[in-house]
Amino acid sequence: MSSRLQRVLLLAIAGAVALGLGIGVAVWDRNPPDATALLALSLPDTQGTPQSLRQWRGKVLVVNFWATWCGPCREEMPEFVRAQRELGPKGVQFVGIAVDQPDKVIQFAKELDLNYPALIGGYDAVDLSKPLGNRLAALPFTVIFDREGRIAHTQLGLLKPTQLRSILANLL
Amino acid sequence: MAVAEKHRRGAFLGLAAAATLAATLSASAQVNPLPPEKAFRFSARLVDAQTVEARFIIAEGYYLYRDKIHFAIEPAAVGLTVPRLPEGKVKEDQFFGRMETYRGGVVVNLAVKDPKPGQQIVIAAESQGCADIGICYPPTVQRVTLALPAGSVVPDASGDPPQKRWFN
Repeated sequence: MSSRLQRVLLLAIAGAVALGLGIGVAVWDRNPPDATALLALSLPDTQGTPQSLRQWRGKVLVVNFWATWCGPCREEMPEFVRAQRELGPKGVQFVGIAVDQPDKVIQFAKELDLNYPALIGGYDAVDLSKPLGNRLAALPFTVIFDREGRIAHTQLGLLKPTQLRSILANLL
Repeated sequence: MAVAEKHRRGAFLGLAAAATLAATLSASAQVNPLPPEKAFRFSARLVDAQTVEARFIIAEGYYLYRDKIHFAIEPAAVGLTVPRLPEGKVKEDQFFGRMETYRGGVVVNLAVKDPKPGQQIVIAAESQGCADIGICYPPTVQRVTLALPAGSVVPDASGDPPQKRWFN
């Protein structure tokens, strides 16, 4: 094969990858994700006590927007419980923000033996995730912060256990 | 370089290009869900002076929950009768128990209780659904404005209460 044809093919591959990445990025806002409002947030937990996200500064913070009415959200939570149990001592902190009614959240938290805070945000809470790139305000939506409070990863939809563990390992 | 060697290199590069393209295209379909108004497109039309045919067209790969569909009319005083919604596909949910979902589409005939000739009405529909790729949308409201058949036009000056009142 001529080296010219090789160059064309390599360019085509590069172009396809760029296109794929571009389409993926188009789902997010054109502005870079902004976590200022989220990190300044204070929401009640299942006991009604206001909890500020600022108290977990210095931790590898995993903020997960979810709801009991969101099947995929409920499916990924047992893995979060496992990860919290195993990696909590190493500095990982999961925090759930429930776009939901308190009684449903309390019931589900009990069934799951939830070992991390579930903050009640109400139906508008998902709007808090929009500046982070959740343009469609869909669930589940997960943001992972490094120990310095910078956004390390955002995910719309199920966060695969292997991917979760890999991201956390890199931040610890 | 031998001819056979050249052909193998060419075939490999061609395959790599095709594989990359396929991977990026499927990846983009995965991370590019529709906004809810496109996934669950709502439309309404007057069948006669007192009947509105309300329709959801549900994109492939998406579904709506039957018990999360609600209708309202503006001005609310006109009144709306919402029949029992068609049966959906039964799904056993671990947390919520028996749920019914719609795929493809659903049509509901709504009765306008007290229509005034020439009046403009708005049919509001709330729905909540998910995508098979594993995301769910919060409840979404869509609205369609319809003009009732004209007679003597009576402008409606009454304001609507800010709280939406569903008729089902």
